Amino acid sequence: MSFDSSKIRNFSIIAHIDHGKSTLADRILELTGTVQKRDMKDQLLDSMDLERERGITIKLNAVTVTYKAKDGETYIYNLIDTPGHVDFTYEVSRSLAACEGALLVVDATQGVQAQTLANVYLAIDNDLEILPVINKVDLPSAQPDFVKEEIETRVGIDCTDACLVSAKTGMGVEEVLERIVTDIPAPSGDPNGPLQALIFDSYYDSYRGVVVLIRVKNGTVKVGDTIHLMQANRDYLVTEVGIRTPNELKVPSLTAGEVGYLAAQIKDIHDVHPGETITLRDNPAEEALPGYRKINPMVYCGLYPVDSKEYGALKEALEKLSLNDASLLWEPETSQALGFGFRCGFLGLLHMDVVQERLEREYHLNLILTAPSVIYHVKMTSGETISIDNPSELPDMSKIAAIEEPFVKADIMAPKEYVGPIMELCQEKRGYYQDLVYFDDTRVILTYDLPLSEIIYDFFDKLKSYTKGYASLDYELKDYRKSELCKLDILLNGQQIDALSSIIYRPSAYNRGLAIVSRLKKIIPRQQFEVPIQAAIGGKVIARADIKSMRKDVLAKCYGGDISRKKKLLEKQKEGKKRMKAVGSVEVPQEAFMAVLSIDEEE
Amino acid sequence: MGKINSLYVHIPFCARICPYCDFPKVIYRQSWAYDYLNALEQELKARDGGLFSTVYVGGGTPSCLSGAELTRLLSFLRPHLVDGGEFSLEINPETLTMEKAKILSSFGVNRASIGAQSATPKSLKTLGRKHTFEDVRKAVTLLRGQGINNINLDLMYGFPDESDQDVKEDIASFLSLKVPHLSAYSLILEEGTAYHAKKIKPLDDDAQQALFEIIREALIEARYERYEVSNFALPGFRCRHNLTYWKDEPYLAIGLGASGYLGDIRYKNTLNLSSYIKGDHEGEVERLGLSSQLEDFFLTNLRLAEGFDLKTFERRFGFPFLSRYQEAYERCQSRGLLEIKDGRLACTSRGLDFLDLALLELF
Repeated sequence: MSFDSSKIRNFSIIAHIDHGKSTLADRILELTGTVQKRDMKDQLLDSMDLERERGITIKLNAVTVTYKAKDGETYIYNLIDTPGHVDFTYEVSRSLAACEGALLVVDATQGVQAQTLANVYLAIDNDLEILPVINKVDLPSAQPDFVKEEIETRVGIDCTDACLVSAKTGMGVEEVLERIVTDIPAPSGDPNGPLQALIFDSYYDSYRGVVVLIRVKNGTVKVGDTIHLMQANRDYLVTEVGIRTPNELKVPSLTAGEVGYLAAQIKDIHDVHPGETITLRDNPAEEALPGYRKINPMVYCGLYPVDSKEYGALKEALEKLSLNDASLLWEPETSQALGFGFRCGFLGLLHMDVVQERLEREYHLNLILTAPSVIYHVKMTSGETISIDNPSELPDMSKIAAIEEPFVKADIMAPKEYVGPIMELCQEKRGYYQDLVYFDDTRVILTYDLPLSEIIYDFFDKLKSYTKGYASLDYELKDYRKSELCKLDILLNGQQIDALSSIIYRPSAYNRGLAIVSRLKKIIPRQQFEVPIQAAIGGKVIARADIKSMRKDVLAKCYGGDISRKKKLLEKQKEGKKRMKAVGSVEVPQEAFMAVLSIDEEE
Repeated sequence: MGKINSLYVHIPFCARICPYCDFPKVIYRQSWAYDYLNALEQELKARDGGLFSTVYVGGGTPSCLSGAELTRLLSFLRPHLVDGGEFSLEINPETLTMEKAKILSSFGVNRASIGAQSATPKSLKTLGRKHTFEDVRKAVTLLRGQGINNINLDLMYGFPDESDQDVKEDIASFLSLKVPHLSAYSLILEEGTAYHAKKIKPLDDDAQQALFEIIREALIEARYERYEVSNFALPGFRCRHNLTYWKDEPYLAIGLGASGYLGDIRYKNTLNLSSYIKGDHEGEVERLGLSSQLEDFFLTNLRLAEGFDLKTFERRFGFPFLSRYQEAYERCQSRGLLEIKDGRLACTSRGLDFLDLALLELF
């Protein structure tokens, strides 16, 4: 495909959940005639059911459309979608790096939200031209002038010429399309230089192998080229090049400024990370594009089938999911309590949630997740150092010289009035103050070093509640530090349950132990016998709660007419029992295994 | 499926409606009674009823029928009972007269089940019953006067505010009548009853069970055998009719809303009295598949203290119990719920109070 690059516009849409990103994308597809109105599924870009349901975009996507502008010229628009959660910050930054501009969509009734800020700053970092779009101006509660001012003062973008639209009705959307031509720069780059193409997403196709979505920065790539992945240091033969409109359309080549897909019989998606640079083996670029980061899972948890017969099915499902999800790692593991399962690594909690839901929904598996854990470095008295991502594997404390846990550098951006509460929260979460910068008159960026374990515990939820949702959080792994940690074991009916162990900060062990046992007492139904629940550190019990025994479980009356009804009652109970796991002699509901995490310490 | 040996006859009439009862029933009206009895006789013919070893007339309140109506009813039922068969009838204490007792006896009724419920006036008031325990005593005397000695008393427990002492007094009164059979039921308020609508709450399971344990211990002490979850009898006085249900054997049932069981079919008659009187008894029919039959077999047989003979199971289903239920059985056994002894599978004495746990493993 060769097209005058001055007629190309590459852009993303940045918006808070529910501010209308997908609806605006739909209108753009409709107005450019890419998709007929009658063919529109609501919110075409979010193709997974789960995305549509949750209103979030998980997998990136890109669409090429043509637009005949009022200047009489035809333009190529490449709309590149971005996910919107802290787990996926890196992916967002890579897809933004594929663009020259971004539409900043803000709800005229809600104003700027914290999450939007984080992505706007990513866009600014990537030197994107930002076009403010104020959506939902048709609603009676819309306050476009107020929102404009807010964008100017909070985000620092001139809103004199902001587009006022209603993505729902289509009002003002044509104006947006025109402004993309005038305001967003055409891509620069040398079509004749050595190839540099940025990979910003990939997916697996059983016929072609991994299909990568790319933005060509310099040079040209075509079918038959031997490409070289500069980070992975691997070569592949290009078998197909094309664009997505959104249906795939093969083209002979992709040149500087263009966005499209490429297939090269890449077998394993784990070989192509977002941010990777593609060049040509025989005429390589001197250096890779900036910003590449190898992403490693930060959070690990055990994944077990409730019914051990589903182990094989779970394995198959994980294999299929990881074909399309390079950041999902897993390996077999065995738990005394839960039997055979897998230890899985995720980018963060949302990623974990999404994988769980997809396994349950798309593969109809009934799963138990253990509470997520980070990777600990354990220095043994023998001098050896081991890494542990499963708390139950922590060796006896007498053999341990020190435990180190991962710390992240966390940047928290928030309106200045929340500085006090945020600092308090960070203190409480064992944070080390690093820096406080006034971003502008109203906003600050606080930088803390925080234990990752506190972040996956409840830091983000608390941060949101402390700042009425106005703070945004970005973090990256910084280093490992020695901490006063210990393993908290949980015993049910005197038997230690490995899947319920957690590694915790010793000084808060007592409170945590008490909270966990009382939570478990609420979750685990009464059994035939009394079940003591104990929290223990190194064999010493620090908290206890007892589940009273059930005194009877039988219907008093059962004569001729009662039998059918009674049977239906039991069948219903049987369904409920399927969500339980027999651990030793105790029936434990699935959610108990997450109780270590989801506890309310006020309980 | 073997021969049908048991017949249940439902009399839906009551002098008054008890606020906790969820059986099919209507207020007694003379104008309906004869038509109903005619329809009942028609249904028995239509269902091809032959000879039965047990006939059980339940309700409602069969004893609220007039002497003439009882005569009408018993005269068409009597020919269906084999010699030496068990012929039971449910009685509300305040409705039994000398005349009715004589009629029962003359038609061969040889077992009576009395809805005594409680001996304490407070409890009877809570239940909305109009009789006193004196009425129960009189009814027992009347029946015995006519040679009907095989008598059951229903004892109910677990209603709001009932104390240990209340229950102990009830048992003492009940035992003083020296009847050979007692049934002890906790008060359960099913949807559709007046008490359920009024949100009257029986005692919780724990408190109910505590009361039941008092009852159980007292009855065992008095030499009664707990032969079913809620039923106690002196040796030789188990209810043969109810054993049909608990052994999962087939039975015919006739009458408004009556539930019958033909081995692989369960039916439940219409609940509409006027349709029934017009001769249209059709209600729901459920055909049971194998797994449903197995479930029925367990949920009935395991209510019996003696459980079931593994050979009986194999004869009935064509495969040995353990060939299919080894794992489930082991789980139940290790939890102390079930045991196999002398070729029989049964609840342990403790397991009888946790039968549903065992059933969930077997289902």
